[in-house]
Amino acid sequence: MQETQSLVTIIPWTFIAQILNLFIQMYLIKKFLFKPINKLLSKRAQLADKEIKDAEAAKSEADGLKQQYEEGLAKAQAQATQIVQDAQKTAQIRAEEVVKEAQDHAAAIKAQAQADIEQEKKKAVNEAKNQIGGLAMDIAGKVVEKEIREEDHKKLIDEFIENVGDAS
Amino acid sequence: MTFSIEGARIFARIHTGIPVLGDILISETLVVSWIVMAIITVLCIVLTRNLKVTNISKRQALAEMLVETANNFVRNNTGGGHKFDKLIPFVAALFTTSVISNLISLIGLRSPTADLSTEAAWAVVVFIMITAEKIKASGILGYLKGFTTPIFIMTPFNILSEIATPISMACRHFGNILSGVVINGLIYWSLSVATNRLFGLIPGAVGRVLSNIPFLDVGLPAILSVYFDWFSGIMQAFIFSMLTIMYIANASEG
Repeated sequence: MQETQSLVTIIPWTFIAQILNLFIQMYLIKKFLFKPINKLLSKRAQLADKEIKDAEAAKSEADGLKQQYEEGLAKAQAQATQIVQDAQKTAQIRAEEVVKEAQDHAAAIKAQAQADIEQEKKKAVNEAKNQIGGLAMDIAGKVVEKEIREEDHKKLIDEFIENVGDAS
Repeated sequence: MTFSIEGARIFARIHTGIPVLGDILISETLVVSWIVMAIITVLCIVLTRNLKVTNISKRQALAEMLVETANNFVRNNTGGGHKFDKLIPFVAALFTTSVISNLISLIGLRSPTADLSTEAAWAVVVFIMITAEKIKASGILGYLKGFTTPIFIMTPFNILSEIATPISMACRHFGNILSGVVINGLIYWSLSVATNRLFGLIPGAVGRVLSNIPFLDVGLPAILSVYFDWFSGIMQAFIFSMLTIMYIANASEG
């Protein structure tokens, strides 16, 4: 039978050895588990922080760009509106000018036509007068060849003049 | 057949001749403690091989989980700050050594925690830490004065309650593990006796052979060991670590 220690006892050297064992174990766990893992965890935390920071920077940059683009867009829109307005105004003015020109032109043509008509009328009247004069001469000649009677002659002359006066 | 339970076996005795300390005994307790330490250290080294920041292996995830659990356990029980971070490896060492020591009885070795020397050593270390923390918090005079509160007459009781802390911690842990050892021994013994009697009923040589094989020892002890080894072992390790943190955290509050 091998020698055994009693069931409930404190062996001084075992006691001291177990204290030392506990601290050795603490050192070993610290060295082989906690140090590497904690280093790794902090490294990962740093990495995560860096990534978040980078993302934030990228976001602010993107926001800046967005604002810039929006401003540009707004400006372009305003410019486009301005251009369209200008074009409309110009077009209106031009249209009015065209209409006015056309009206003037039409008026001129009308005036010309009236003048032409007047002239033609005058010419026609003159021609008619001339013909009438000729006719009168012919008539007069015929009348002279005929036996002239006071009453006939007088009546004829009167009639003639009256008619001519009407025609003119 | 009689039942008896022995203390840890002594493999070697180194004579020192120092009066109080006596001889150095290379006992089962010490040898198994070294085995436990070796197991823990190898586990730590294996778990932390090939550490990577991203795309981690399951092994590394387990290591990280253990470390974070230890960190959170200590931080949450000391008020959430980083004030006691230097305690984390100590508490982790205490807990893992205790757990592995308690569970190593499952592979047939004698638990180092079934020897009061082990728990006494741990409890004394914790007691010194508590005292140091108290002295740091309120000064040596404040610490001594603390014993006379609320009235001077209470001094002996205060001293008693102070000393009771490590004793109760050590004895609680030791008692639980030892009771597990005793009960397991009793169960194995009684079942083997029962087998002996049962198969002894078979007459002749067959009965003699069969009655010496403890058939009934298969099964029932495994179920009971779920409580006496697993639950009790882990629970006691947890309680010991928990009390360590709580006492030290309380001590620093003065």
